[in-house]
Amino acid sequence: MKRSSTNSISRRAVLRGAGCTVALPWLESLARADAPPSSGFPKRFGVVFLGNGINEDHWSAEGQGGAMKLSKTLSPLEPLKQKINVIDGLYVKALTGQGIHPGQTGSLLSGAHITKGAVVHSGVSVDQMIANHIGDETPQSSIVLACEQPMTGYHETNFSMVYSSHISWQSPDSPVPVEVYPSFAWDSLFDNRGSLLNISILDRVKDRAQELTRRISSTDKSRLDEFLTSVREVERRVDRMRESKAAADDAAKAKNTAAAFMERPANGLPEDLRDHARLMCDIIAIAFQTDKTRVASLIISRDLSAMYYPFLDVKEGHHAASHNNASDGYERIARFHVSQFAYLASKLDGMKEGGGTVLDNTCLMFLSNMWIGRKHDNSRLPLVLAGGLGGAIETGRTLNYLNDGEDNRKMCSLYLSLMDRFGLKVEQFGDSRTRLERL
Amino acid sequence: MRAEVLSCLLASATITGSAAVTPDLDHDFQQVVRPFIVKYCSGCHSGKSAAAQLDLKAYTDLNSVARDYPRWALVSQRLSAREMPPKPLPPPPANDAGRVIAWIQAVRAEQIRRFDGDPGVVPARRLSNAEYNYTIRDLTGYDMQITREFPLDPANPAGFDNSGESLTMSPALLNKYLQAAREIANHLVFLPDNIDFAPHPMLAESDRDKWAIQRIVNFYLRQPVKYADYFRAAWRYKYRAALGKPRATLAAIASEANVSPKYLETVWRVLNERGAIGPVLKLETMWRNLPGPASKQRQTLDAKCLEMQEFVMRIRAHTAMQFAAPKVKGLPPASQPLLNWKNREFASHRRESDPQALRNDTDPPPVLPEIPKYARLHQEAAPRWAALMARARAGDPDLVVPAAERKRYEAAFARFASVFPDRFYVSERGRYFPDDSEDPARLLSAGYHNVMGYFRDDTPLMELILDENGKREIDRLWNEFDYVASFTARTWTQFYFNQSGEVQGKGAESGTPRPRDHEITDSEVIVAMRDAYLAKAAADPANDPVAPRAIREHFDGINATLQALEKQRKEAEPKQLDALLRFAARAYRRPLTAAEREDLLSFYTTLRTRNQLSHEDAMRETVVSILMSPDFLYRMDLQSTSSPEPAAVRPVSMKSSAAFASRPLSGYELASRLSYFLWSSMPDDELMQRAAAGDLVKRDVLLAETRRMLEDPRVRGLAAEFSGNWLGFRQFENINTVDRERFPSFTNDLREAMFQEPVRFIEDAVSNNRSVLDLLYGNYTFVNPILARHYGIPGIEGGAEKWVRVDNANRYGRGGLLPMAVFMTQNSPGLRTSPVKRGNWVVTRLLGEVIPPPPPTVPELPADESKSELPVRDMLARHRENAMCAACHSRIDSFGLPFEGYGPVGNIRTKDLAGRPVDTVVIYPGGETLDGLAGLQTFIREHRQKQFVANISRKLLAYALNRSLQLSDEPLVERMEARAAANGYRFNSLIESIVTSPQFLTRRISDAQPEPESHLRRAKL
Repeated sequence: MKRSSTNSISRRAVLRGAGCTVALPWLESLARADAPPSSGFPKRFGVVFLGNGINEDHWSAEGQGGAMKLSKTLSPLEPLKQKINVIDGLYVKALTGQGIHPGQTGSLLSGAHITKGAVVHSGVSVDQMIANHIGDETPQSSIVLACEQPMTGYHETNFSMVYSSHISWQSPDSPVPVEVYPSFAWDSLFDNRGSLLNISILDRVKDRAQELTRRISSTDKSRLDEFLTSVREVERRVDRMRESKAAADDAAKAKNTAAAFMERPANGLPEDLRDHARLMCDIIAIAFQTDKTRVASLIISRDLSAMYYPFLDVKEGHHAASHNNASDGYERIARFHVSQFAYLASKLDGMKEGGGTVLDNTCLMFLSNMWIGRKHDNSRLPLVLAGGLGGAIETGRTLNYLNDGEDNRKMCSLYLSLMDRFGLKVEQFGDSRTRLERL
Repeated sequence: MRAEVLSCLLASATITGSAAVTPDLDHDFQQVVRPFIVKYCSGCHSGKSAAAQLDLKAYTDLNSVARDYPRWALVSQRLSAREMPPKPLPPPPANDAGRVIAWIQAVRAEQIRRFDGDPGVVPARRLSNAEYNYTIRDLTGYDMQITREFPLDPANPAGFDNSGESLTMSPALLNKYLQAAREIANHLVFLPDNIDFAPHPMLAESDRDKWAIQRIVNFYLRQPVKYADYFRAAWRYKYRAALGKPRATLAAIASEANVSPKYLETVWRVLNERGAIGPVLKLETMWRNLPGPASKQRQTLDAKCLEMQEFVMRIRAHTAMQFAAPKVKGLPPASQPLLNWKNREFASHRRESDPQALRNDTDPPPVLPEIPKYARLHQEAAPRWAALMARARAGDPDLVVPAAERKRYEAAFARFASVFPDRFYVSERGRYFPDDSEDPARLLSAGYHNVMGYFRDDTPLMELILDENGKREIDRLWNEFDYVASFTARTWTQFYFNQSGEVQGKGAESGTPRPRDHEITDSEVIVAMRDAYLAKAAADPANDPVAPRAIREHFDGINATLQALEKQRKEAEPKQLDALLRFAARAYRRPLTAAEREDLLSFYTTLRTRNQLSHEDAMRETVVSILMSPDFLYRMDLQSTSSPEPAAVRPVSMKSSAAFASRPLSGYELASRLSYFLWSSMPDDELMQRAAAGDLVKRDVLLAETRRMLEDPRVRGLAAEFSGNWLGFRQFENINTVDRERFPSFTNDLREAMFQEPVRFIEDAVSNNRSVLDLLYGNYTFVNPILARHYGIPGIEGGAEKWVRVDNANRYGRGGLLPMAVFMTQNSPGLRTSPVKRGNWVVTRLLGEVIPPPPPTVPELPADESKSELPVRDMLARHRENAMCAACHSRIDSFGLPFEGYGPVGNIRTKDLAGRPVDTVVIYPGGETLDGLAGLQTFIREHRQKQFVANISRKLLAYALNRSLQLSDEPLVERMEARAAANGYRFNSLIESIVTSPQFLTRRISDAQPEPESHLRRAKL
């Protein structure tokens, strides 16, 4: 039933992602809605992004398991030590040596070469690769969220700022539009909007066919009957999908299992970034738990972020603060992002699934586009994975690839390893043809 | 009028057979035919394992025979030829066989008589995948090839996938339709007074920008702005008499030369000005010295005009006005309101000459300034630019003027600049424009740092080149850019959040926090920001006094634009809804009824109210619903519409004695029928207009439209779909029987080229109205460089899209359909050739013979000819020694063996894969011995040509009618053949016979639909 893995982008990918438009389920998936997944629990993938790097004096991890020592910036992950891997030394070669910021960000999740000037061109990102592969199994193939509005001008390096504002790319020519409004993200996932719209289309088409039946010959009637039967069948599947989802949601609520329930966020943008980020994390967590989608990406702050952190007592904007590597403010900003990541991971870890938790069946990734801001150094990237992906990833480790040689520290190798674990076999991705050692 | 058309069509129909003896056919079947069958035939031809899968016992009455007549025609043929029963069985008495043969022929005559002109039963049919693709292409303007993931369409018994018999619906397919409809709807573009489609989805902001920018840049690139072209055109006017056009006007010459008439006049005037000095005089002198038409130097004209152009451009580059951003303490020069002022200054002074560019002849030599470093972030680029300019000016002797006449010269330079702007438009900029970096272009960019921003700079183009239409168009494109991509709002928002902090002294890369009570785009917010900048400008007396104006213009401009756009958006909704209804009518291929319009609008309204969708989302959903509607997905003929053509439903019986009732198609029905026949796609506007005017049903209009359509590029739809089905290569693009290790030349590109060859060939034959016999004997073909290499045809260079006609193709063993690589490859099982498959293809596909399927026990030939002991040819010869096999193989093999000179991928060869020389000499049925392709062509020309013409006639008719042929179509097929023969076998003669036939022009009235058998029963005389 599953389509074989593809290296090319599914044309359908254009519809995917939360974006500013109505998200619609693919009906193919609905055909399977009443059958439980063939084995185990669904695997999910989530990315949380921090722009402009971290304060290197406070980013480190040593030791394994309970003995793991986390530095200040990573300290919010303390309770999750057994369920994370702190990885050092990986990087994306295509994003080095071509100028700072957008040129360091435009293909972070694909390793593609990006183009300067008028034409925007990158590569399909790993989250969208996975979404294209498993997205048919959920109402929405992925959600792509951001707490900061995109910027789309040109950086002085002559790379488009589109590269700085997006990490998820659905085709080499188009990023997935980010959803910044929590309320819209919620609607697209929990409002059954997609199903309702499909039903209204199908209803209309059905009415139309019935009306035509009165105006056509008996031979043609049989043809339209066939059409009507098909419409009804598809409609039945949509309905069944809705019902089974509603029932599942109710059951979860009744059992009081870290309720798959969330009030619809208020319209408009939350003023406080803390509220904004938390709402976005809640939406991802509940979407994962209720299997509305299995792929999510969240930009808390984009590259060249213009966000302010009065609540952290940082006077400068994010980008300006990042130019002072050693500053406490810069450290606090990074730690705030890590704490949001920890919040999301903990939330998933509180959601029981079988003998484990939703986090155990998930791989969350935290990363930035550079190591330190002052030097715009992206020869290594801050990276944390959380969750065991259904036993596919051993956790509670610190992994250091920094001195393993260029060929053995590619982000794209990590992406290949992750795609493998989602059953997506790709021979080459970005600059890599090999899987990441030791993962 | 309609009656007149019909009577004329009927007059051309030959009705045969009615006068002949019409025995009691049913009675005779029981008394004569069946006993004969039982006695002589059904020993082999009955039951589940009937020979040739022909179970003659299964036919129990006349009707069952009539329904399956082609096989009975074969029975008649075999009996007549005394091939059946086969030796050594005893032959039946000639008289008995004769009665059976006569009976079979009588059945045919009777069927024809009763059903002559019968349009037949053609049920409502959904669009085939191919038709869906072509229709979406013509509906949206873009070939999205959206059915690539659809299930394959099955073909009907006639071999065509466009027939009502085969095109069924399933939930899986319906699902695909829903996905496709959504994908198409994502390409929707919302314009202030219309809707349109983009070649890519239009959901992401970067995609919207890309689409709108490209339209503007393309407009600019289309404009005639090369000075040399104007000088050349002026020259042609000057010498119009000598050039043989004494009466030509300047405007006529402009239009001939594709330059702006308005600007040509301007240029003409300055070139012929009296008393000129300075650059005007110099240009005039160059102009006067251009070689005349009779001059020996005439061939230097182009170069001389280019020299003039270079002169103008140099002078203008060196006399261009220069500007810097107004200085305001505490704001960087790249601050948007200030940088934008600079942009506006440049844009509004392109037709002026900088007086400072000139030097007096009495001045000392200029001191060359140092060139400052490239401007850093937020710094002013102007000083560097000024230094570069000073150095350039210093080296230009044409800028030196007599000190005493300085004023006069300045005026001359000003005059020069007013005619020759330094730029007509700016379509790309770097950072902080002007920018001398080598960075790739940012199209239409305002030159801001990080924040997006666009700036329009085309005043000289507007003033000098464009006519009123052109001005309106470019104004519209810029407005639509903002309407579609909301760039002003987005730039403002990005500026607000990322840079406006500069006014608070927070630095150039900091923003302002979100306002509490307002949207960012509210007037109050914009005005408050303006005032903050104004306060900054007023704070220091040393600030440039122009700064407040710059700031006001900038922010007030944003405010006004946003308000205008908001108003425009509101006003656009009803217009876009109108456009949506027009779209629906095009999608349904007929006008909408009032109720249908109402229905669509109410669907849209429900989506907005009940589903709370935005206008654009609701429009997209409505487009989805239109594309999901059976009116779009199905080709069906409505019986009664409340609508435009009540006359269309009037039943018209073709013939009082006819065994069926039919009515003429309405204009719209006919338009669709024509367009799906000739283009595999929806009717175009002209066809719809003809339908609306009601004159498409007139014979002369119909024929004129048909000819027009055949010359239209969309006729490739017919070439690809008809021939792909008829000749069985429509799936060739997916063929995977070729062993690519053994045939590394067989790449995807070559496979695609092979597939294209017959399509191009037939497209050419159809659109140029060539003889259908060219398909067989044409000594030419079409190749692209990839196929040319495969064929060993030298001298064809270029990309895969470059297709050229190759004449005298016989030199390369090509020409016509027969030796095309696609057929050679498709009919080879991989590592050997297959004369059987190739011969079978010729005999059945091209010539239309019916060959029974092989028995299940047929021995396999070895898969790899390099490993077999005997050549394929010899193995086949051995095969034919078996009489059972020989019955068919003697009819097939001689049509395949001539191709032994072509390898498994259609490559020319002299040896087979085992290294044995190939033998292409063939003994044909009847004993003639001929060699190779030429021999095969000769044999067909002498013995099978009529069969070929009959076959292509039948196939084309079945394709056109979307159904299998029936016996009553036979007279039409005969007429097609006769008319073709009388008209040099031109394609048009076949097509015209079809489109003017009652079969094509009418449809059955279903409620009076006869069961064919009941009428036959009554036909006893």
